[in-house]
Amino acid sequence: MDSTLTYIGQRIPRKDGPEKVTGRAIYTVDIQLPGMLMGRILRSPHPHARILNIDISRATNLKGVKAVITAQDTIGKKHSFVETPRYPADQYPLATDRVRFVGEEIAAVAATDPYVAEEALSLIQVDYDPLPAVFDPEEAMQSGAPEIHPSHPKVTKPLMNVAGKTESGWGNVERGFAQSDHIRQDRFESHLRTHGYLEPQATVASFEPGGKLNVWTSSQGPFIKRAKLAGTLGLPFSTVRIQKAYVGGAFGGKIDLFSHEVCASLLSMKTGRPVKIVASREEIFTAYRHGQPLIVEIKTGVKKDGTLVAQRARVINNCGAYRGSGVVVIFLAWGFIMIPYRLPNLAYEGYAVYTNNPIRAPQRGHGAPQVRFAVESQLDMIAEELGIDPVEIRLRNARLPGEQLPNGDNVHNCGLIECIQKAAEHTEFRKKYGMNRSTPRFGGRIRRGIGIGVSSYFSGSLIYPNSSSVVVKMNDDGTVTLLTGALDIGQGAETILCQIVAEELKIPLEEIQVIAADTETTPVDIGSWISGNAYVSGNAARMAATEVRRKLLDIAAGEMEAKVEDLRVEDKSIYVASSPGQRLTYRQLVATSIQKRRGDPIIGEGHWRAMRDEPFHPSLATTKGRWSENYAFDAQVAEVEVDIETGQVRLVRAVTAHDCGFPINPLLVEGQVDGQVSMALGHALMEEVLMKEGRTLNPNWLEYRMPTIHNVALSEYINVITEQYKMDRSYGTKEGGEGSTSAILDVAMSEHVDVRPKHVELGPPYRSKEAGEGLVSAILAAIANAIYDAVEVRLNTTPFTPEKILRGLGKIR
Amino acid sequence: MKQRVELSINGDTHELAVEPQTTLLEILRDHLGLTGTKEACGTGECGSCTVLIAGKPILSCLALAMDCQKQPIITIEGLSEGGKLTPVQQAFLDCGAIQCGFCTPGMVLSSTALLEENPSPSEEEIRKALEGHLCRCTGYNKIIEAVKKAAERMANK
Repeated sequence: MDSTLTYIGQRIPRKDGPEKVTGRAIYTVDIQLPGMLMGRILRSPHPHARILNIDISRATNLKGVKAVITAQDTIGKKHSFVETPRYPADQYPLATDRVRFVGEEIAAVAATDPYVAEEALSLIQVDYDPLPAVFDPEEAMQSGAPEIHPSHPKVTKPLMNVAGKTESGWGNVERGFAQSDHIRQDRFESHLRTHGYLEPQATVASFEPGGKLNVWTSSQGPFIKRAKLAGTLGLPFSTVRIQKAYVGGAFGGKIDLFSHEVCASLLSMKTGRPVKIVASREEIFTAYRHGQPLIVEIKTGVKKDGTLVAQRARVINNCGAYRGSGVVVIFLAWGFIMIPYRLPNLAYEGYAVYTNNPIRAPQRGHGAPQVRFAVESQLDMIAEELGIDPVEIRLRNARLPGEQLPNGDNVHNCGLIECIQKAAEHTEFRKKYGMNRSTPRFGGRIRRGIGIGVSSYFSGSLIYPNSSSVVVKMNDDGTVTLLTGALDIGQGAETILCQIVAEELKIPLEEIQVIAADTETTPVDIGSWISGNAYVSGNAARMAATEVRRKLLDIAAGEMEAKVEDLRVEDKSIYVASSPGQRLTYRQLVATSIQKRRGDPIIGEGHWRAMRDEPFHPSLATTKGRWSENYAFDAQVAEVEVDIETGQVRLVRAVTAHDCGFPINPLLVEGQVDGQVSMALGHALMEEVLMKEGRTLNPNWLEYRMPTIHNVALSEYINVITEQYKMDRSYGTKEGGEGSTSAILDVAMSEHVDVRPKHVELGPPYRSKEAGEGLVSAILAAIANAIYDAVEVRLNTTPFTPEKILRGLGKIR
Repeated sequence: MKQRVELSINGDTHELAVEPQTTLLEILRDHLGLTGTKEACGTGECGSCTVLIAGKPILSCLALAMDCQKQPIITIEGLSEGGKLTPVQQAFLDCGAIQCGFCTPGMVLSSTALLEENPSPSEEEIRKALEGHLCRCTGYNKIIEAVKKAAERMANK
């Protein structure tokens, strides 16, 4: 079949690759400005203490020190990841009268070199009055626990340390349990992991005499940063400019506003010189934000055939000393229970609890790995008790295309059933499952097991700035410039936006220049942190390019005295279908437009908003309101080997069958899958931030073990295509455009039938779904289930360490 | 007390006055503006700061500048000539072995050194050569693929 797609769906190498592979890509840590000072931050050694006095005089007098700041240099305004009437901001950028975690920021210094700055920190005298501290969330929920925010409005009385609570549900769970044939109740716990981005947290701030604050910061989107930074500094948004620098990984850990960003800005404003702050790796491990360990208690009732009837879930999140994204996770945890399976009755409550631990951040999957680990592990236990195989019980409960979720959202073109079937078929799951328990394949000490998990993730939702806009400009020479606020953090945001524009305008990627992620010169973008880049920013890019094409076609029609529908777009030119010799290049069309259309240089703008008919995001307290209009699904199968002598587990093979709508760039999608499998491998088997009384015990990569090149699983992908790229043939693409487009398309669910009128300018919403963080979850559950299949050890807590395996095998106590 | 050193970097000779404790990484990044060499940990755990000295990969965060004299030093900026990507660089690009790119310079240099010494390495030899490099984005699958691809292309040249 002839393909109509030239750029979409192609394995195109990333556009910023040449810069990165030659060392020319400039990251925030690489920025050097004339006269730049280096900043360092003084942090609390106590998990909980009153600050009695801060004396900066000796530090200020040290030669080479240009400024020292404390809370007194701020405007005394708090900030938070979430700022709502129920959850007002709770954190000062520098501690005022109290510190609540080890590493909390107290003062900052700018000096002529980092060694002087470091020495200056040691000269700042802080008098503390240590207070009782609490680190365990369930202890923190007890009456009599040390109160961490005494002057704060309480979310739930009398539970003083509850930072947030989410309550939701539908149906009647008690009746549901009464109607169930089988009920199980389990408790699952997850552990503390860090993001492991290679580029350290870093910020360069340069305050101009005219009042403009220029900022480069390693982040996940400039617009949310600008809003929070300007707000905390008390500056109008328009005076703060955040510009693009390459980002060396983030994974959720660089979204929120950080103290070092405020400090670099204040120090630059105070000294009138550029100031750079780069966190050390030890600081990142001890004082920055990691992920969120959840306690998930879940009671599930099913029919004999495995059909889910009722679930009661209680989630407790140890959210650290300030809310961070802790109150978002307890909302999302509800959502990650809701999406993949039909569930007639649910009662859910989630608590985010203040403790004297460092603050938590979103982390790839933002609660989904922890929740899916619990749900999918328990589902396997139930299946075994009922004598149903793990694939069957999932197929029985999996959502179907077009189903409405209990919150009113629709899963549209959900490909979950296909994902489960394809993953199981490809791995011969049913043949292998249970086999190794009866007859171990290798005999000896190595046991092999197979397990499956299922997950789903949203693709964009409504959180500030809620919108993506893209501008596409034609240039005199017939090339294109794309302006986007999207920040490429490694996932390939710029590349896929270029592919979309390239497809609509039939122009090679090399002829599209990108200007990105600058709050001053590029339009607003939702950012690379809410899984909306392909869908939300992608649709904006498509609209902008479509507007440009409409203008080009219009001019061409006039010049060649043809109807628009008789024109074809190809290779930066437009020709008449019936006489291909009649052709005008983009360069000629731009010149004509300027000459004959009052100087119109041909610019297109497009914008998109997830849930565009909804005023607000859903309630974090009650979950009421619509959440997303676009859900991605996946089923993942893990094959593991367990050494019954050492308890070591090895992930041998990971198969990901996923419905990301349509992979715009399979090469990049595969990279996302591999990265998530690797991250889940580390989560399951290797990584844990060890803390004792709020102090990190292993603040480096020698003691915090991330996967190396020796810890690589065979990673396989099955694309379940639920969204044909909607081609509009009136655009003049090649004939015979229906159907699938290349060998990578394994399953085409919906046949493409284009019955729209010929002159439609933009197809239906372009439902390419997220692929960047939904695939880190089911694989974790699959590993847990595969370990059980291998050695009949059911682990309810992550990580799956040799010690736990050996204890489960009865080999150690 | 600063001392004079003479360093040969990417074919250029640099005469500098450095403190005895100054690392090669500091010289490259802070004194010469060669920021393609990355610092992710500063303590020799991640491989991001790898450069080639006399063709061998070394961690520039652990090397004192004074000890690196009289040997040719190659950084990522000195790898490709005339703006043309080397086979290793091109393979990293084509295979999707780059995401955020922060580990890429170190990975590319170690892979280059490997293929220089061993033009057709086994997968195990590739793992051995890159075991000191952390990458958080790719899961390493496509990096292994890229090194194999580069070896294949160099052999067919």
